[in-house]
Amino acid sequence: MSGNGGKTVLVCCGTGCIANGSLEILSALRERAAKAEGIDVKPLIKSTGCNGFCENGPIVKIVPDQISYYRVKRSDADEIFDRTLLGGEAVDRLLHVDPATGKRVRSQMENEFYSRQTKLALRNIGEVDPADIDDYIARDGYKAFAKALLHMKPGDVIAEIEKSGLRGRGGAGFPTGRKWKQCASYDSFPKYVVCNGDEGDPGAFMDRSIMEGDPNTIIEGMLICAYATGSSSGFIYIRDEYALAVKNFTCAIEKARERGFLGGNILGSGFDFDIQVVRGGGAFVCGESTALMASIEGRVGEPRAKYIRSVEKGLWGKPTVLNNVETWANVPLIIMNGADWFRTIGTERSPGTKVFSLVGKIRNTGLVEVPMGITIRELVSNIGGGVPGNRNFKAVQTGGPSGGCIPESMLDLEVDFDTLTEAGSMMGSGGMIVMDDRTCMVDVARYYIGFLSEESCGKCVPCREGLRRMGEILNDICAGKGREGDMEMLEKICETVSEASLCGLGKSAPNPVMSTLKHFRDEYLSHINGKRCPAGVCRELTSYFIDPEACVGCGLCRKKCPADAITGSLKSIHSIDTQKCIKCGNCMDVCRLKAVKVR
Amino acid sequence: MKKTEEMNAETVELMNKYPKEARYSLAILQDMQRKFNCIPKESLSLIAEHLGIPLSRLYSMATFYKALSLKPKGEVIVKVCDGTACHIRSSLVIIEEMRKILNIGPGETTEDGRFSLDTVNCLGSCAIAPVITVNEKYYGKVTPVMLREILTGYGGGSDVR
Amino acid sequence: MNITIDGKICEAEPGELLLAVAARNGIHIPTLCHSDALAGLASCRLCIVDVNEKGWHRTVTSCVYPVKAGIEVETATERIVEMRRTILMLLSARAPDSDVINDFKRRYSVPDVERFSGDAKEKCILCGLCVKACEGVGPCAISTVGRGITKKVATPFDEPSGVCTGCGSCARTCPTGAIEMVEDGATRTIWHRKHDLLKCRICGEPYITWMEMKYLSRRLGVKKLDLVCKKCRRESLAEKMMEASEHVRPL
Repeated sequence: MSGNGGKTVLVCCGTGCIANGSLEILSALRERAAKAEGIDVKPLIKSTGCNGFCENGPIVKIVPDQISYYRVKRSDADEIFDRTLLGGEAVDRLLHVDPATGKRVRSQMENEFYSRQTKLALRNIGEVDPADIDDYIARDGYKAFAKALLHMKPGDVIAEIEKSGLRGRGGAGFPTGRKWKQCASYDSFPKYVVCNGDEGDPGAFMDRSIMEGDPNTIIEGMLICAYATGSSSGFIYIRDEYALAVKNFTCAIEKARERGFLGGNILGSGFDFDIQVVRGGGAFVCGESTALMASIEGRVGEPRAKYIRSVEKGLWGKPTVLNNVETWANVPLIIMNGADWFRTIGTERSPGTKVFSLVGKIRNTGLVEVPMGITIRELVSNIGGGVPGNRNFKAVQTGGPSGGCIPESMLDLEVDFDTLTEAGSMMGSGGMIVMDDRTCMVDVARYYIGFLSEESCGKCVPCREGLRRMGEILNDICAGKGREGDMEMLEKICETVSEASLCGLGKSAPNPVMSTLKHFRDEYLSHINGKRCPAGVCRELTSYFIDPEACVGCGLCRKKCPADAITGSLKSIHSIDTQKCIKCGNCMDVCRLKAVKVR
Repeated sequence: MKKTEEMNAETVELMNKYPKEARYSLAILQDMQRKFNCIPKESLSLIAEHLGIPLSRLYSMATFYKALSLKPKGEVIVKVCDGTACHIRSSLVIIEEMRKILNIGPGETTEDGRFSLDTVNCLGSCAIAPVITVNEKYYGKVTPVMLREILTGYGGGSDVR
Repeated sequence: MNITIDGKICEAEPGELLLAVAARNGIHIPTLCHSDALAGLASCRLCIVDVNEKGWHRTVTSCVYPVKAGIEVETATERIVEMRRTILMLLSARAPDSDVINDFKRRYSVPDVERFSGDAKEKCILCGLCVKACEGVGPCAISTVGRGITKKVATPFDEPSGVCTGCGSCARTCPTGAIEMVEDGATRTIWHRKHDLLKCRICGEPYITWMEMKYLSRRLGVKKLDLVCKKCRRESLAEKMMEASEHVRPL
């Protein structure tokens, strides 16, 4: 390399950092580099996928110095280039501050957000340019596939995956090896390999970051499966909203074809396989496997009864293996390092790691990958940094619209497929939404039922009509029109919807309602009998007032009020005009003394 | 809106990019949506005929998938994320503010065809909630005041009250 | 092979649909969206039963469940019946004045729930039979529109369909009589279109629309359909059979 001292700058260009302006930083750095003499620009400044520490983006890293900068602005670009790249010294103000010691740390591994993580599925993201297949190859990319294709029999590949205990990361946790074995056992061709990239859970963006940041690991996983099961045709179904994932994946497929990893006679072995990208149409239900396949076939995404499994009759009635993005990302590692290695991580029933998206009322929002078996408390308090502001933790919602709430009393539960299900929630795809005392749990239930009412395909009676009536009841409760018997009616409908619905969407739809009814029953009672929303969220049941005993007249609430509803002069008690109040809750959020209360 | 003949010609061009198989109907419809900002009625019939599938089936698809719209969207499409993280960070306040400023609710378009509002379930930028996109450009940590500024920048705001 | 339904041993072929096996053995399971003429839709969920497969219990819809050797089925456990009642309660809330549903309600002692309101004119339960019928014997003139709680069945754009033949198969298949078909002797109006009815060449009664005649001619591959109504066709066939059997002597 000519005159850049072997250094590389990695600029995070995941969707979150792009929203915060990382593309401008990328071009500013490239401009600066172009002006500098004797420097070869392209290998020097690269864009990567999501680093996971999204609350603190845009993120810029320098290797091999192992320096990580956070909350970078475009205006910092020149300084980073001159002082760090050319001068070899760190720009202190951009380094992460360790909250325990108060000191600045240079590298990612000294950052407490990362040091507790074990990156398997996310191993390359933030380290490679997803458009550069050589970056992937340099990090052992496609070696596992070559090993499988040239040195292992298809049956051995399946046996290895089975032995590893890998379970579907999309939420159902079905043993992956068993799925592949079943597909391989049917004498019916052609067979298909499908990647479910229709990540629809609100608050979950694990799959997005893998598809955007390391598409090759998915391609490699699918290649290994195709070889093992006898398939020559694959699909990746990517959610319509993920434009960058579609772009990066399409690019990766083209590059893989150019290099001969996809197409005909791969690596001279006579094995053919290619992947087609299919865009979703904006339907959450298409994350359900049979609905997804219907969508690929060009039909509406309506699920079918699964009495005959897709591994026997899937796409166009042929044996099909469908796995989630994160599941595919783990496959190359298992073939490369062996099932025994994989089993050393995680728990007995759920080996390996899981990627979680930590979002909501939490200090460090972002993506984390941790071994299964970690407690929720560790995730929320240690890695997540706890609830910000002066608010109190209330619950963690796991598993999206199919999952449930974990209250404080259950924070020491270990996260794996079975423990959470046994506790009445489910791990789901990995979305973890932290809620504080300013979140109304009845509103959360209402929100999810509203979401599912629109996303349900509408075919079967329990789901469609059940959701409709549950929505009516919950809307009434949140508007102060709750009646006696509403909770019992909700429970009655929930039972039928969970047992008699046609597909997984319907069957799991009652979970948020059931778990909030179980753990936060008093909130429901408060809404129905007391006509009061303790969290101050439901407008009709909330009336804000300022406690004259607690108010010191700092005026912060008055400044933050978007409706000019608060009056009071400095150092005198403030008051809220309920006529003008739009109940946005800003005042309650900002008051450090908790002087703003709900009647 | 373009003339029907022009749209039909463009529809044919679009259709011919794909093999003549029913399974590409969704892909064709989405290309159409991106090109015309809606699925024109005439185009729907053309596609049905071209692929040899019943019009009712295509109509079913066009109404099932929310990425597709039979009514034209505005020139400026505002999407407010109502994913759980944004919801608990008060995305509803932003949606209400949109109604105050432009008098439209989710799924609606202003009379003059300039602005459309949609709610979406999770744009994947939960760290900077509440999030909106305006013609695919992301804005994070949006407040009612910020929203007003953004919309004024697109020609609709304080003067449209 | 054998399976057990409600304690009774029933013979079945592997893969046969459970509802059919039960019916053959005199065991009645309630249905609403089932039709012997069309493939199972499994949308009403009334036919749910409890299946015990080697110790593993599942709730399945018998209309589309393929039987396996040795399964033990219970069609009316307390839990199953309670769920059927909840389903009927939900259906009744949707279509409060439907005779068929009210009949079911009486049979299952489902009380009225005043908490929920529904459109008294609504009869459609979105079972999907009409769409399937039109797919099978017609030109696919109708389809489901939208999804979720606003889903409905309609012609494209709610306009009079250019391809609907007015055959009325959809209306006849509908379990709740939700599709409006009005006949006044000379015309039939259905799906926003009025069709003139052609007359039977034997009895002179109007019975078929022009479009249906054209459609059938095309599908049957005949140049022009012989216009004979169902009644006359049956009578004519009976006559021919009597003629043919005149030469058969009693034993």
